Amino acid sequence: MEAQRPRTHTLESTVSSDRRDDLLSLADASLAYMSLEDMLSELLDRIRDGLEVDTAALLLMDEDRGVLVARAAKGLEEEVRQGVQVPLARGFAGRVAAEHKPLIIDLDHYQVWNPILRQKGIRSMLGVPVHVEDRVIGVMHIGTLVHREFDEDDVTLLQLAADRVALAIDTARIAEQRAVTAIMQRSLLPDELPEVPGMRLSAKYLPAGSGVKIGGDWYDVFQLTDGRLAFVIGDVVGRGVLAASVMAEIRTALRAYLAQGHDLPRVLSMLNELLVTMGRKRGATLAIVAVDAEDESLETVTAGHLPPLLIDPDGHARLLEQTPGLPVGIGAGHDYEASRHPFPSGSRLLLYTDGLIERREEGIDTGFERLTAAAQAAARLGDSPLADGVYRALLDETPLEDDVALLAIETLPLGNPLEMTLRAQAHVLAGMRKTLGRWLQAAGADENELFDLTLAISEAATNAIEHAYGAREASFTVICEHDGPQVTATVRDSGRWRTTQPPGGGRGLEIMGALVDSVNVSSDEQGTVVTMAKRLNHRE
Amino acid sequence: MSRLDIEKVNGVAIARVNEDIDAANAVAIQHELAGALGPDAVCLVVDLSAIRYLDSAGIDMLLRLSDLLRHRRADLILVIPDGSQLKRLATIVGLAKAITIHPSLRDALREASGPCHGATLGA
Repeated sequence: MEAQRPRTHTLESTVSSDRRDDLLSLADASLAYMSLEDMLSELLDRIRDGLEVDTAALLLMDEDRGVLVARAAKGLEEEVRQGVQVPLARGFAGRVAAEHKPLIIDLDHYQVWNPILRQKGIRSMLGVPVHVEDRVIGVMHIGTLVHREFDEDDVTLLQLAADRVALAIDTARIAEQRAVTAIMQRSLLPDELPEVPGMRLSAKYLPAGSGVKIGGDWYDVFQLTDGRLAFVIGDVVGRGVLAASVMAEIRTALRAYLAQGHDLPRVLSMLNELLVTMGRKRGATLAIVAVDAEDESLETVTAGHLPPLLIDPDGHARLLEQTPGLPVGIGAGHDYEASRHPFPSGSRLLLYTDGLIERREEGIDTGFERLTAAAQAAARLGDSPLADGVYRALLDETPLEDDVALLAIETLPLGNPLEMTLRAQAHVLAGMRKTLGRWLQAAGADENELFDLTLAISEAATNAIEHAYGAREASFTVICEHDGPQVTATVRDSGRWRTTQPPGGGRGLEIMGALVDSVNVSSDEQGTVVTMAKRLNHRE
Repeated sequence: MSRLDIEKVNGVAIARVNEDIDAANAVAIQHELAGALGPDAVCLVVDLSAIRYLDSAGIDMLLRLSDLLRHRRADLILVIPDGSQLKRLATIVGLAKAITIHPSLRDALREASGPCHGATLGA
């Protein structure tokens, strides 16, 4: 199909119309399905043939470093291989980018930045800016080994090709940003919520709009060192990768400070100081709620975040009163204050970000009323986890104007028998004791009995954890059952008891024996089972 | 409040433990307690009256700490209130045979500043 194309410059007008046709085919559909790499290569080939030149190259702007970097080239492949970089406003390409207009040069009279051009023996060059809207994203240039006077037609055609390249690169960059966004968002939210006996946890995260820009909302759930469960929800000002990186810093700092055993108000003050010291110019609102399953209470602290919604066991919903605190990351020296509330079995708590309730052209009170009604209805229905129910009631058919994060905690009665499968790691012990305490209270244990059984089971669990020898995926199970006043507890692991006694001379076994009526240890190929029994002295 | 609150009064280091001690934190708490003594103190009072559980890992830790302090010519005194669950546990394992236990911080401080430690106090 290219056989008839004239190879001389004598018939300018006809030639240019043919060349234009050829280059206009740049916009044809076949290019749309190519990878960016293949497409750039194909485009440069067509430019070289269509404009009858010896070299064609594309340089893209690296905005952070203020340089143009060779991205693709024909007849000048070394330029890409050597990763040629041209500073902005210097050299030929640098000038095209800085001046944002086409440039024609004769190398006999022009000092180029890039020695490869001269080594190649290039005599004449034409460069045009590659731009997306008003922004220069790169430079395309062509060159000839013989002297040539580039004309207006050449400029127009090369600019046409540059515009096609700009479109392709912009599309590819958006796709890449979308992929990065998705990965970051996934890494910033928990993979899955922990399974906690006697609690139903649920969460929802919904990005607004196209999902190209990462949202600034997040949530987190983890166990505190004292055995309580911490629930965090927050919202960093703005969106995009920068907001996400601040979110990641906050998430990490919170976990680190809480792992040190600091109390909630102190942790918020420390976080605030950290963000201010690091010079992060983005504020964030967040709330932390620590739920104590055994005491049936919760503690909350807030940094300018919307109040959690509490639904009591009767199904009545209200916003939690709490001492307001300023958002973190804005100014140094803020103090925060915790509030405590009862959280009896059958209660539910909903944490959320402002995207859930805020609508254009209506006051926030309307939003709160709608939320309260939706949460009460979802709780009354109770067939699906609360976060799902509230989401369905409020958002299912509304286009989102803002990101939304939702986190719900619902306490359920513990069953009899109580069965727990726990990771064989020592940090599960404190949370296990909280759950045991709650179950034993319900079984009618008094203070001494609760202590004795909890500690005895905790000792057996510690042994089970030691037997796992730190194996990553190892777990153990605890089963507690009561038949009237008779309580039986079984702790089962998949390891063998060590033949040599640990330092302390089997003190764990000694403690177990003293605290419960009977202890039985049996070991086989499947593992070790500790069975303990104790009769409660029911007083009521 | 954090895991440990530490203060020093006249050469006596007082560490109040605010978190139950078990296999998850025994080693870390031991290091923090040993560090709380400092170079000049001769007595470490560990106040356990705020905690609810202390398991065998915690008891082993206290015994190790007691040995360590003895090597540094310092004393370890525990505060465990009478009638508490911890006191029952301490009795079961015979903890008082190895470590001095007092029912209140006041009693513990009276012993800590008693004649056997008086020589280096007030320095």
